[in-house]
Amino acid sequence: MSSLMAIGALVRRDLRAFFRSRSQLYSSVALPLMLLAILGTGVNDGLDPKNIPDYVTFLTPGMIAMTAVFSSTFSSASYYQDRDSGILKVLLASPHSPRVVLLGKTLSAVIIGAAQALLVLAVAAAIPAIRFHWQYGVVQSVLIAFFAIVVLNLFLSGLGQLLASRISSMQGFHLVMNLVLFPFLFFSGAFFPLTDLPIWLNVLGRVNPLSYGVDMMHLALYADSAHGYFGLPLDFAVLTGLAVVVFYFGTARSVHPDR
Amino acid sequence: MNIVTAPGTAPSVASLTATPAIEASDLVYHYGERLALDSLSLTIPRGRIFGLLGPNGSGKSTLLSILVGRRIAEAGAVRILGEPLSHALRRRVGVVFQEPSLDAVMTVAETMDLQARMFGLKRRDADAATRVLLERVSLADRMSSPTASLSGGMKRRLELARALLTGPEVLLLDEPTLALDPDSRLRLWEHLLEANAEGRTLLLATNDVHEAERYCDEVALIDHGHPVAQGTPADLKRELRDESVRIDWDSDPTAEAAIIETWPGVGHVRIAGQTTHVTVDDASPFLARLFQQSGDRVRGVRIEHSTLEDVYFQLVGRGITPAVSDAEAEEEA
Repeated sequence: MSSLMAIGALVRRDLRAFFRSRSQLYSSVALPLMLLAILGTGVNDGLDPKNIPDYVTFLTPGMIAMTAVFSSTFSSASYYQDRDSGILKVLLASPHSPRVVLLGKTLSAVIIGAAQALLVLAVAAAIPAIRFHWQYGVVQSVLIAFFAIVVLNLFLSGLGQLLASRISSMQGFHLVMNLVLFPFLFFSGAFFPLTDLPIWLNVLGRVNPLSYGVDMMHLALYADSAHGYFGLPLDFAVLTGLAVVVFYFGTARSVHPDR
Repeated sequence: MNIVTAPGTAPSVASLTATPAIEASDLVYHYGERLALDSLSLTIPRGRIFGLLGPNGSGKSTLLSILVGRRIAEAGAVRILGEPLSHALRRRVGVVFQEPSLDAVMTVAETMDLQARMFGLKRRDADAATRVLLERVSLADRMSSPTASLSGGMKRRLELARALLTGPEVLLLDEPTLALDPDSRLRLWEHLLEANAEGRTLLLATNDVHEAERYCDEVALIDHGHPVAQGTPADLKRELRDESVRIDWDSDPTAEAAIIETWPGVGHVRIAGQTTHVTVDDASPFLARLFQQSGDRVRGVRIEHSTLEDVYFQLVGRGITPAVSDAEAEEEA
């Protein structure tokens, strides 16, 4: 009970800090929408891809995944701010294990990341140029997309904690997160379909955890059939399994307030 | 002044005479190859203001970080209030860290609220205790101010109020007055003395000799991770000569110091740059002889009562001057 109270307090604290940082709040939603408008329209009208007749709508799940990637990076980096401000020492001197502290911080990262991604989804759904197919029905498709967003954020926040446990500086952390996650984002199916790719890129796409989150959102929002996709059962199994394992180990990592 | 029991419990009279507040036995800790704690053993009775006095890097902060649970001793044992270290025990221990430990984005009230939540205090109790404590440290009118807007002294007082919020029986303080101006120091000490008057044990790590002498009931002098002496400031100085003469020279005084050391009535001679500190039985005949023999080289003289710094020098052979902090030592390691 007292651990739950502590986790709640930590989540509230990080949420409050997020809402006070207006620039982070606005840019997290503005950037994906800007990319949708510029990149989506540019590719759709400039390159006229034959395989993807509606590229802007195709790109939307990728932008939602990108929002989750950015958000988890920023939220995980707040660990370093807590360490440098000295507040981490105070939290670790409380009657709770470091795991409770990390759980509070990681859960707030999941909530912030998921809220941002859902906001992008909501705004995108209201744009007339973006035409979702909702092949499972609107409510079911929204629920599937919601699930994918939350689980993707669980995975990414856990991964952020795992990386933070190995990297001592915030600059190094940002560098590694970008180095690891950006390539993952590029061959996740977010920008182009994984079908009809050279075998090496197809293999990379299949071992990429982000691909399953993007695939799930494509199925829920963009596709009108499951043909050419991994399929919901595989997406669910891979994404959930990985998220649980990575989140578990991410929050079980050792914490030292000075490193 | 009301005793702020907070939602926790204030130390009872019975508990003050029970087991010691802190018992550390044979603690060993290394930073890399550097030995920070060398079989350190200490017993700190309840209800005291106990000072750990030594230069930076002597192991004071390392001992405190072990007591807080930030580091785990490689050997030895620690008991606080008769119990081995545990997460649950932290409810009875408050901490004020050496470095600032406030979130700049949070307000004063939010800082207190987070502490209350982390320690599982009921909201009504926590709110009441927060009001009393912030009133007490003169921050009641700054409840909605971001901590970043507070002065150094205010931040320290807030950190103290936060540590007291949970009603700790033992308060660990790592150089709490470091970098504070004299007024802020004095105010902080008023609050610390109040906390002690309520029966709380204060363990203070410091390299401020005057602070230790003035406020501590008992002091342990620490050198290279080992206590070289322990007692009341008066007891520790009992063996020492009464007065200390500080002499400023026009150049390196090594040769003069060697001569002065042989004079009758002279205790220890310590050199710090172009200054010597000499403990003497009686300053008058000493000064007469000094000016007679080396008056042309003396630029200034000041007579003081002997301090714990002199005791430390007598025991260790060097002064309590900042050298390298534990954190720096750890980084080097």
